[in-house]
Amino acid sequence: MVLGGENTLSGSAPTANGHVKESNGFIQHSNGHVPHYKDDKIKKMSQESFEPVPLLVACLTYLGYGMLVLFGYFRDFLRKSGVETTHSTIERKKMKDFVPLYQSFESFYTRNLYTRIRDCWNRPICSVPSAEFDVSERVSDDGNWHLRLTGKSRRCVNLGSYNYLGFAENTGPCADAAAKALQQYGAGVCSTRQELGNYRIHEELEQTTARFLGVEDAVTFGMGFATNSMNIPALMGGKGCLILSDELNHASLVLGARLCSTVIKVFKHNDIEDVERKLREAIINGQPRTHRAWRKILIIVEGIYSMEGSIIKLPDLIRLKKKYGAYLYLDEAHSIGALGETGRGVTEYWGVDPRDVDIMMGTFTKSFGAAGGYIAGSKRLINHLRAYSHSTTYACSMAAPVAQQVISSMKIIMGEDGTNRGQLRIKQLAANSKYFRQRLVEMGFIVYGNDDSPIVPVLLYMPAKIAAFSRELYQQNVGVVVVGFPATPLVESRARFCLSAAHTREMLDKVLDAISDVGDRLQLKYSLNPPTKAASAEECYKQVDSLAHEA
Amino acid sequence: MGDGGTTYSGVNPNAVWLNSRGIWLSYVIAVTILHLILLSIPFLNVAQAWTLTNVVHNIGNYIFLHMLKGTPWETNWDQGKSRLLTHWEQIDFGEQFTTTRKFLFLAPVILFILASFYTKYDPLHFVFNLSTMLLVLIPKLPQLHGVRIFGINKY
Repeated sequence: MVLGGENTLSGSAPTANGHVKESNGFIQHSNGHVPHYKDDKIKKMSQESFEPVPLLVACLTYLGYGMLVLFGYFRDFLRKSGVETTHSTIERKKMKDFVPLYQSFESFYTRNLYTRIRDCWNRPICSVPSAEFDVSERVSDDGNWHLRLTGKSRRCVNLGSYNYLGFAENTGPCADAAAKALQQYGAGVCSTRQELGNYRIHEELEQTTARFLGVEDAVTFGMGFATNSMNIPALMGGKGCLILSDELNHASLVLGARLCSTVIKVFKHNDIEDVERKLREAIINGQPRTHRAWRKILIIVEGIYSMEGSIIKLPDLIRLKKKYGAYLYLDEAHSIGALGETGRGVTEYWGVDPRDVDIMMGTFTKSFGAAGGYIAGSKRLINHLRAYSHSTTYACSMAAPVAQQVISSMKIIMGEDGTNRGQLRIKQLAANSKYFRQRLVEMGFIVYGNDDSPIVPVLLYMPAKIAAFSRELYQQNVGVVVVGFPATPLVESRARFCLSAAHTREMLDKVLDAISDVGDRLQLKYSLNPPTKAASAEECYKQVDSLAHEA
Repeated sequence: MGDGGTTYSGVNPNAVWLNSRGIWLSYVIAVTILHLILLSIPFLNVAQAWTLTNVVHNIGNYIFLHMLKGTPWETNWDQGKSRLLTHWEQIDFGEQFTTTRKFLFLAPVILFILASFYTKYDPLHFVFNLSTMLLVLIPKLPQLHGVRIFGINKY
């Protein structure tokens, strides 16, 4: 949720939802922050929009949740008095004198809200998650307490997988190379990196990654989540350190920060003035009781935030970090491969030198169609991590076919395979994102995030519409991911579309028609902004077509 | 909604959802609807309807803010600390005198004033209105943060 900070430049304080009344017209419904860009080569800020919830919609949302809660209490009463059968797990009769294992109030939400619409999540998929995939159908006889497969499946357009560059394929050069690696190295590694799990393919992967990112060295790990949670403790060991973490950081970053014995301060999402304020306070006051100077300060941010679609304001952060002597940890899980002219991530997007970011982290799960994560930076940093990371010491290394998949896809993106297929994919993704988002805004949906991000969250707000949207689109053969409270703020439930280079324009047109139809029937077109004329499809796809003709 | 119980970055949503946009308006609308329902009951006169609105509102306020403890979803990030806290104590992570707390403190007071006016300051109605208002205001005092009298409602 974006909360307004003080807008010192335009002189007017924003209201609580961040909307600035008198502005020079440059910012539309953003958090009110106007950046100060002194450097010419830094790109001008793209339009980010987080339109606040219309008041009527908010009231109806609360009313909806209130009704669900009241009915939840009623149903619980019916279950307790025996009128309705209880499907959830209950304590055994002979344990009734023991302290109960679970508080039934803690599962109130799961029992009465989540279970009723549980069929929208955990849908089993029975094909490779490329642009289209097969989703198995399930039915339930007892209100979603027990779901069973019917044996049939639906071929849906995939708008939920993190398949930004379309590398989730089971045919093609990457799949062939991975199959060959499987023949050569086998499926498992059976050891940790520091023992006998350091294959030549791992070293080749790390050198390729470092070359891709433009830094000195990189180290890779078998799991993306564990890259964060296992390596932040290795970097921030010891007392006297401070972590400044964005409020919407991913659970892996939060867990990694908590595993260190550091003080953690949270700053408002993407609010550079808040970061500066907290940095200044921290440096001036020093450590909490002794007021000694901090040993080191680490700012942890992400490149693209997957729930909001917002892009971090990297040039401002680098300016701040240089001014105050802090370190910057950038988690590019969603932005690597998806942003930038040649797919190098958020540093290329902003035109910033990658060596300015102290610790660049990313995952191979999203744009490269593999699994695992990397940390890249200076040689000293990587040598330290190779020795001290929990992951290299205790966790088994990446499987060889997975590593080969990353190497082949990275080479394609860099153009080292001799074709321009990588460039074509990047341009296709950029065009798809721009086109999809503009069409949705034109239709009147409230869409969060940056214009350039391949993640397009569309706000649904009301709890019943979460389920209705997901089910209706499933009936029309579109697979989407929906999220609600408590994974998002109470009012801001959303559907999150992830665009892919594998989507064609025709696919997207078909999907957009379905979304518009469902949006009309469910009355989801809440935007109060004046209708904008979006750029036509031809403009968005011009570059893609010219590249495709070259190839 | 993922697995039905996790939140982003380990923040207790109970602490922040009352700060969302439109809560105050929704609260007023909910009390108005309650009052209109009570006014429509044929055998209640205006004074009784107002007193009942006040009393029902205060009892609901007490139950949801001061009696029920913990959260209706799993809290795996704070090792069960919020399980012992009532919703009032969880608001804004225990920070006192925030805007939300001030609003929730003033709502029973305003209802009391309105009820006193519409019951023409009748002594019997006054007893009910005052006692329920005190029931709901005293737990909100910062001195009573985390206090459990006679160990009632401790665990």
